[in-house]
Amino acid sequence: MQPLIELENVVKAFGEHRAVDNVSLSINKGEKVVIIGPSGSGKSTLLRTINCLEPMDSGAMRFAGKPAGYVKRDGKLVPDKPKNICALRTRIGMVFQQFNLFPHMSVARNVMEGPVTVLGESKPRARETAMDMLGKVGMEGFADRYPASLSGGQKQRVAIARALAMKPEMILFDEPTSALDPELVGEVFDTIKQLAVEGMTMVIVTHNMGFAREIADTVIFMENGSFLAKGTPADFFDRQCDDPRVQSFIDKIF
Amino acid sequence: MALLLLFLCTVARAASPDELMRRAGDAMAAGDLDAAVELYMQVPAPDKNGDEGQFVNARMQAARLHFALKRFERAIEAVDSLLEVYPDNIEAKSYRGAVVDAMMPEWKKLLRDTVHFVPALLKGSLMTLLLVFFTMLVSPIGGLLIALGRISGIAAASRLCWFIIWIFRGTPLLLQLFFIYYGLPAIGITLKPIPSALIGLGLNYSAYLAEIIRSGIQSIDKGQMEAAQAMGMSYRQAMRRVIIPQTYRVILPPVTNEFIALIKDTALVSTIAMVELMRTADQLFNASFNVTVLALAACVYLMFTTVFTFAFERLERRVGAYEER
Ligand SMILES: Nc1ncnc2c1ncn2[C@@H]1O[C@H](COP(=O)(O)OP(=O)(O)O)[C@@H](O)[C@H]1O
Ligand SMILES: [Mg+2]
Repeated sequence: MQPLIELENVVKAFGEHRAVDNVSLSINKGEKVVIIGPSGSGKSTLLRTINCLEPMDSGAMRFAGKPAGYVKRDGKLVPDKPKNICALRTRIGMVFQQFNLFPHMSVARNVMEGPVTVLGESKPRARETAMDMLGKVGMEGFADRYPASLSGGQKQRVAIARALAMKPEMILFDEPTSALDPELVGEVFDTIKQLAVEGMTMVIVTHNMGFAREIADTVIFMENGSFLAKGTPADFFDRQCDDPRVQSFIDKIF
Repeated sequence: MALLLLFLCTVARAASPDELMRRAGDAMAAGDLDAAVELYMQVPAPDKNGDEGQFVNARMQAARLHFALKRFERAIEAVDSLLEVYPDNIEAKSYRGAVVDAMMPEWKKLLRDTVHFVPALLKGSLMTLLLVFFTMLVSPIGGLLIALGRISGIAAASRLCWFIIWIFRGTPLLLQLFFIYYGLPAIGITLKPIPSALIGLGLNYSAYLAEIIRSGIQSIDKGQMEAAQAMGMSYRQAMRRVIIPQTYRVILPPVTNEFIALIKDTALVSTIAMVELMRTADQLFNASFNVTVLALAACVYLMFTTVFTFAFERLERRVGAYEER
């Protein structure tokens, strides 16, 4: 089977510091990849290079079999034309730790915004899609509220609906529950789990080991910009890990 | 005593105008103003060959003495007795006006001046309003363009916009207006007062608003731009749909401040031959030396700034409402 997305020797440095250091990764359609690792290890940066929010310094990316996001010019890797990057981003959804809902738009307008502005859909149609997506995350009753009046968990569910409205082929979750009060984490995880069941391809950065174990096909432990270990949840959680650093991280979290 | 008065009167009646004038003069010199007035009032209207000047003099003198003693009604009587004989005497007429003026209570005078000056001031303020509305329309657009240029990341555009702000924010508006109106003809560009004023105000306020708008844009959480771009929006779409609408509530208070300042700054264009509220007030004041004109002009400015303040306060509440909903 052809992978949906392939990363090859991706390097991203801030000054001298390599936030992502020579990472390669291939994700199949429908695969759920969970990335764990201490803070500052480059998890967010890796997600951001995937949809070109952070341009990588070297490496290669292929999406659905085709080179994506970057082109070689005079032997140097540069971001592709803005138009192509925008097109790529419509195919890769992203959900942020801080939700980043648009506060000046109602919940429904938040979800409609992408289809209307980016895909050029008519407003009535986009509204219909939006209501569908809000239904999926259990937020259809809040369509005309504004984000400021929602709880964190509700905001994050709207953010997921907003990503879904673009009909993406995969979704990147960057610590989707880290900004939530503990009692609100469950509703967001349930929403993500439901997407998993429907076969969405996902990369999820999280510190919640229980969730990782439940949802992941592949778990990756990242430290100092590199993958230190990679395996199934069983490899990680059901037996002692070979690598003492990974084991001590997991122990600390549990 | 009564006898003495009677005697004096009989003697006076018999006296010639010249004699009356002389005795009135003596009474004045002696400090007996009442007696002097009596004598002046007795100077008869001249017959055909009589001395007109002497009669006019005498009655005016009587009127002035009454006025000096704050007996305004009697001053009027004296002038009227003169006007009866010479209805067209200009001196008497204007003096009568002055006395009537002095008799008027202060509030009535104020009312009269107001009715007299306000129409001209309002006419002048139409031009002021035109300048204000034009600048309010143009400067946000100019300011937005300059702000976007500043943060565009394109070095040339960024530097040009920085330069524009540097020039127009760093020199007095008055000087800029002089340059445009008096200076540009030196390089062959001659502008009429109105375009000069509009260009000067437009550029100056664009430069000010540019910095407000830039700081407004930069105050929006970085996550907003990322979220917009992550869903596939271009930089332009993200700016237009997501970032700029959110700046409104941030920039509205400082922009209101600028627009209030603008209302007052339009007074500066009176120096480049524009006839607006300030210039009108100046002209009326120079013609009348009546300070009420200046107070009235102040009131008109105050009225404008007040209306604007309230209008923008309402707008502010509307624009920021999504934070509470
Ligand atoms: N925009 C940036 N500029 C400079 N350094 C950055 C930037 N973003 C991230 N970093 C650095 O890169 C490293 C990885 O950061 P990040 O990807 O956010 O880690 P994680 O998400 O795993 O906590 C950190 O050391 C961080 O300080
Ligand atoms: Mg992170």
